Amino acid sequence: MRKSLRFRIGFPLLVLAIILPMLFPFVWMLLSAFKTQVDIISWPPKFFFSPTLLNFRKVISEQNFMLYLKNSSIVAFCAVAFSLALGLPAAYSIARFQQKKLSVLILIARLMPGISFLMPWYIIFSRLGLMDSYIALILSHMLIALPVVVWVMSAYFESIPREMEESAMVDGATLQRAFMTIIIPLSVPGVVTATTLSFIFSWNNFMFSQVLSMQKTRTLPIAVYNFMSYAEVDWGGVMAAAVAIMAPAIILTMVFQKYVVKGLTMGAVKG
Amino acid sequence: MKRILVVLLIASLCLSVFAQGAAEAPAKPQEIRVLLANHPYGELLKAAIPEFEASTGIKVNVESLQESQLTQKLTTEFATNSSTVDVFMTRPLQEGLLFIKNGWYAPLDKYDFTDYPGASVDIGRKDGKAFIVPLVIEWQVLYYRKDLFAQAGLKVPTTLAELENAAKVLTKDGIAGFGSRGKGAAAVTQFSSYLYNFGGLYLDKNVAVFDTPAAIEALRYYGRMLGTYGPQGIVSMSWENLMPVFQAGKLAMWTDASVFLGQIVDPTKTQIPAANVGVTSLPAGPKGDSPFIVTSWGMGMSAKSQNADAAMKFLNWATSKELAIKGMLTNIPMARNSAWKDATVQKGMNPELIATQAHAAKNGYPLDRPFMSAVGQARDLIGEVIIEAINTKGTSTKLQALATEKVNAVNELLKKDGEYGGK
Repeated sequence: MRKSLRFRIGFPLLVLAIILPMLFPFVWMLLSAFKTQVDIISWPPKFFFSPTLLNFRKVISEQNFMLYLKNSSIVAFCAVAFSLALGLPAAYSIARFQQKKLSVLILIARLMPGISFLMPWYIIFSRLGLMDSYIALILSHMLIALPVVVWVMSAYFESIPREMEESAMVDGATLQRAFMTIIIPLSVPGVVTATTLSFIFSWNNFMFSQVLSMQKTRTLPIAVYNFMSYAEVDWGGVMAAAVAIMAPAIILTMVFQKYVVKGLTMGAVKG
Repeated sequence: MKRILVVLLIASLCLSVFAQGAAEAPAKPQEIRVLLANHPYGELLKAAIPEFEASTGIKVNVESLQESQLTQKLTTEFATNSSTVDVFMTRPLQEGLLFIKNGWYAPLDKYDFTDYPGASVDIGRKDGKAFIVPLVIEWQVLYYRKDLFAQAGLKVPTTLAELENAAKVLTKDGIAGFGSRGKGAAAVTQFSSYLYNFGGLYLDKNVAVFDTPAAIEALRYYGRMLGTYGPQGIVSMSWENLMPVFQAGKLAMWTDASVFLGQIVDPTKTQIPAANVGVTSLPAGPKGDSPFIVTSWGMGMSAKSQNADAAMKFLNWATSKELAIKGMLTNIPMARNSAWKDATVQKGMNPELIATQAHAAKNGYPLDRPFMSAVGQARDLIGEVIIEAINTKGTSTKLQALATEKVNAVNELLKKDGEYGGK
C-alpha cells in the first residue's frame, strides 16, 4: 500500500508534536541531573555544558540511597507478589462466577482517596507496634497493587474460553489444578501487565510511605525531598535522585514489555 | 456465609501474628524519638547527637523531614493520639497556634527563657505558659547589586521613595530593577514589612484590618513596584523562583528574608561575584521603619511524651548556648541574645548582615503573617489582593472593595475558630 506524500510527512510531525511535550520535562530532568547549580539556573538555558557527576555522587554517598533503594525494592516486590497471590484467584473467581458486586467493591477501595485510609492505618499500626516496619508498608501498598491486579486480570480471564479448563477437568484435573497449569500459563501477558502496573504504582507511592515509614523503612520517593531544605533547594540533587529512582522502573518495564509482546504473538500462532 | 467466616478467621490469625511482633519490642526507658526539619540547624544537631548520647546514655532516634512533610507527619501523629514523638522542630507562626490550642505541646515551665527576646517567646505562649523554645530567626532585608548601583551612580536606598527611584533607573538591558515575592500566599510574608512601613497591619487585636487607607497605599506601592519593575511572571514567583533570577544576574534589587544571603554569595551556586552583592535594611516607609523579624523555627516537646525527663534533657541540650554559637558560626541566625554578642561570632559574620539584624531587632515587628489558626486560608485570601495590585500596577479601582471583601472573609475565619477580637 502506497501512502500519500502528505501522510508520510504529516504523520511523523504529528507523532513528534505529541511526544515532544511529554519528553521535554524528562529530557530537562536528565540534563539538569548532570549540571551544576550555576548551570541549572543560568539564563538562557544551557544545552551544552561540561557534565558533572557530582549530583549522583551526592545522591549515593550523602543520602543513604542504597538503603532507600533496598526499602523500595522490598516493599514493591512483596506488595506485588502478595497481590498476585491473592489477586489472581480472586480475579479468576470474579471472571468465572460473575461476582460483579465484589469487583465493584474492590474498585471502590482504589477510587477512595488514599489519605482517608491513612489515619485509621496509623492508629492500627502504631498500636500494634508496626510503625517503621516493612509489614505496614507492604500491607498499605497492597491497597494500591491488589485492585490493579484484580481488574486487569478479571478482564483477561474472561477473554479465555471456558472450554480450556473444562477440557482439563474432563481429563480429571481439579478446578485449582486447571487454574494453575492451564489458565495461568495462558495468561502470562496479562499477569505481566498487571505486575508492571502495580509495581510502578507501588514504586512511586509517596503518601503511604511518608506517614507509615520512619528512618529505617523510608522509600525512594521520600528521599527526593531530602534535597529540599528550608529556604534552599538543591535542584541538581533532586534531578539526579529522580533519575536514579526512575531508572529501575524504566528498565523493569522495558524488560517486561518484551514478554508482553512475546506472549501476545505466541498466542496468535497457536490460535 | 461459611466463606466469610473462613476469611475472618484467617484475618484474625494474621493479626495475632503481627501483634506478637509488637509484644517482642518493649519500649526501653531511656530512648527518645526526635523529629527534625531539613534545615541547617537540624543538620548541625544530627551531627552532634552522638555527643549527647555518649554523655547522657539516652538513645536518640532521629528523623529529618522536609518542612511541609514534618508538619503533616506531626499533625497525623498527634491527631490520632498515638504519637511516639518526644521532641520536634516546629514553625511557631505556621502551626504554633493550632498545636497549642489542641494541647499537643507540653508546657515548658522549667525552661529558662531569660536569654531570648520577649516577643519571640510570647508567640508560643498561652495563658501565661510558654510552649515553644525559639530557635532560628529571620528578618526582611534588601539584597542589591553593588556594581550596578556604582555604575548608575546611585546611593543605597533608605526610604521606599528612594527604592522606587533606584528601581526605575536600574530597570534596563534585560535586568529587572526590583523583585520581591509576587505569588499570592507566598507574598504575604514579604509584603508584611511594606504594610508595616506604610502604617498598616494584617490583624489588629485579632481583627483583620488590611483594608485601611494605609494598607491600601502599601498594596498600591507594592503592586506598582512589582508590576512596573519586576521580572516577567512575577505573580507566580516565590523565593525559589526569584533567587535563581538574582543569582543569574538578572535582578538588581531583591527584598526577602535574611536566610538567602549564604546562597547568593556561594560561588558554586551563583554567577555574580560575592563582592558585588550587598545587603542592607529594608528602606523605611512614610509611617514606619519596622521590617518583620520572626522566629522561623522553634523546638517543642510532645505533651504525650513517655520520657518527659529524657526529652527535657534533650531539649535543654539542643537549644543550649554552646550549640547556638556553633549555629551562628555556620551562618544560622539564632534566637538567643547571647549568641549575637559572642566575640568569635561577631568576627566571623558578615558585618552588613549583623547591622540589618540589629536594626530589625530594635525596630522590627515580630510577625510576618496574620497570626491565627487558619493562617493558610488567610494567606490565600490576602494573596488574591496582592496579585490584583501587581496585575494592575497598583492602579486597580477595585482594590479597596476587594480588600474589604477579604478582610470580612478573614474575620469570618477568626470567628469560626473563636479567635476574633479581644486580648
